Amino acid sequence: MCCQLGGWGAFMLVQLGLTSAFSDHSSPRGRDSVTDTAVNVMVTLMGLLLTHAARPLVTRWQWKQLRWLPLVPRVLGMATVLALIWIVAGYGYCYGLIGLPWPSKYNFISIMALSWFQSTWMMVFWFCVYFFYHIYERLQRMQIEQLRLAANVKEAELRALKSQVNPHFLFNSLNSLRALIDEDAGRAREAVTRLANILRYSLQSGQVETVQLRDELQTVEDYLALEQIRHEERLRVRWEVADEARSQLVPPMLLQTLVENAVKYGISTRRAGGEVAISAWIQDAALHLRVSNPGELAPLGNAASAKAGSSTGVGLRNASERLKLLYGDQATLQLVAEPAGSVTAEVSLPCRALAS
Amino acid sequence: MKALLIDDERLARSELRRLLAPHPEIEIVGEAVNANEAQERIASLKPDLIFLDIQMPGDDGFTLLEKLEPPLPHVIFTTAYDEFAVKAFEFNALDYLLKPVDPNRLVGALEKLRSQAARAGIAEPGRERLGTDDKVFVREGDHCWFVSVRNIRLLESEGNYTRLYFDSHKPQLFRSLTAMEERLDSRHFFRANRKQVINLAWVEDIEPWFSGGLLVKLKGGMKVELSRRQAQEFRDRMSL
Repeated sequence: MCCQLGGWGAFMLVQLGLTSAFSDHSSPRGRDSVTDTAVNVMVTLMGLLLTHAARPLVTRWQWKQLRWLPLVPRVLGMATVLALIWIVAGYGYCYGLIGLPWPSKYNFISIMALSWFQSTWMMVFWFCVYFFYHIYERLQRMQIEQLRLAANVKEAELRALKSQVNPHFLFNSLNSLRALIDEDAGRAREAVTRLANILRYSLQSGQVETVQLRDELQTVEDYLALEQIRHEERLRVRWEVADEARSQLVPPMLLQTLVENAVKYGISTRRAGGEVAISAWIQDAALHLRVSNPGELAPLGNAASAKAGSSTGVGLRNASERLKLLYGDQATLQLVAEPAGSVTAEVSLPCRALAS
Repeated sequence: MKALLIDDERLARSELRRLLAPHPEIEIVGEAVNANEAQERIASLKPDLIFLDIQMPGDDGFTLLEKLEPPLPHVIFTTAYDEFAVKAFEFNALDYLLKPVDPNRLVGALEKLRSQAARAGIAEPGRERLGTDDKVFVREGDHCWFVSVRNIRLLESEGNYTRLYFDSHKPQLFRSLTAMEERLDSRHFFRANRKQVINLAWVEDIEPWFSGGLLVKLKGGMKVELSRRQAQEFRDRMSL
């Protein structure tokens, strides 16, 4: 809108300047300057109104999305029509309706034709400015959008890095360890080793695509041993791992993520605690991993469980995205509320063993 | 000073005991493993101080504080890692210890507590009426406050909740205004109308209002209307 007013304002000033400079000698039947100014202002206002009315049409017909070739004839056509309306209305009002004296020695038709031609270029010029302005604006918006996207990607990467070691687990474990040093130095030493294993494993996990299940199981075992130091009798663990499954290749931290979720929602939030069951087996050329914990799938609506549910969602969504990247449609991850009173996460992967 | 340790992990509690051993002025009167147990122990043991873990099975530490009847004991939070909660503390300068606890930070927290207690006199939990130095715990969204009763300008009824006005904040407290009014000292607080209780220390100006009522202006710019009946009582009270 500001551009419109500014542009047409400039147009009017130039017109006024030209008229006042040439009015003395341009016509033998010269008019007074008030009439000149009034005519100029009116002509400018008409141009402003016409182009203003053209803008919604351009939007409705989606000309901004057009390529050059289809756009040029449309703009020319539109400019011709607008120019015709402009001069017919302008001349018709001045010399027809209010009957100003005809100021030129040339006849009406030729002046009209010339004006139509000039106004058409005037309108074409207006469209050029209009489209350039919009192209520039869109370019800037795209740049901002791109920057925002880049920032989002970085943030996601950072979050992924952070989530490798759960800080809550880390510091709680260190706290238990501090107590354990006085209470049971042997167990404390063992816990330090386990913690070191977990940290080393999770730091390295970013660098490899897959690991053998036996390595992942070792980390899960270390993790659960540390959680058992914290939760004591509240956390019980049951293992059912088929031997032939141990050499299968799995994405690192996949099973660990499922087990961490199981402890977080099945044990930490429940006063009585419970049992986390982990099983792995091969069936129909697929490796199946299953982790279950006591609890319910978070119903929506309840604020506390919705919060818990959404963060489970993040961990599981990440895991399922990684599976998709690695295996396409051949891998699945699902969360089901069974057996009754417990939540089970089950993953199935295509069998892949170490080539050696 | 009697202290209660609240943490769901046995090792965390025994670690805290060990850390408190060099501070004989802190007498550990008991432990609790969850919020429900803590609520009972606080009622029966009446500790002056609680060490409170935030993440616990069942209700968390904040919810426990919301459920406790004021006046609250002094609270030192303990947490392993909780970005959200730590932010809430820093904002309000509440005291918290990060686990594993740095013994020097514990000394700092206890010193701060001593100077607070010296200033305010040790709170006697379970008293009928709240003194002006007693604190009320309020949580709204990301923020938590321990509000001194003296800083509350106005309490406003919103159904089962009461909105507290203090400093530039006005969070909701999960208690009815009637329940709150019963706990407030009537020398300092006055029921202005059906919905509002004002702190008399914050009254700045009083104007006559329609049909024998009064308009009370509080420091900080809030205005409260008194009906004719309440205005009469207010006049009687203020002229004493």
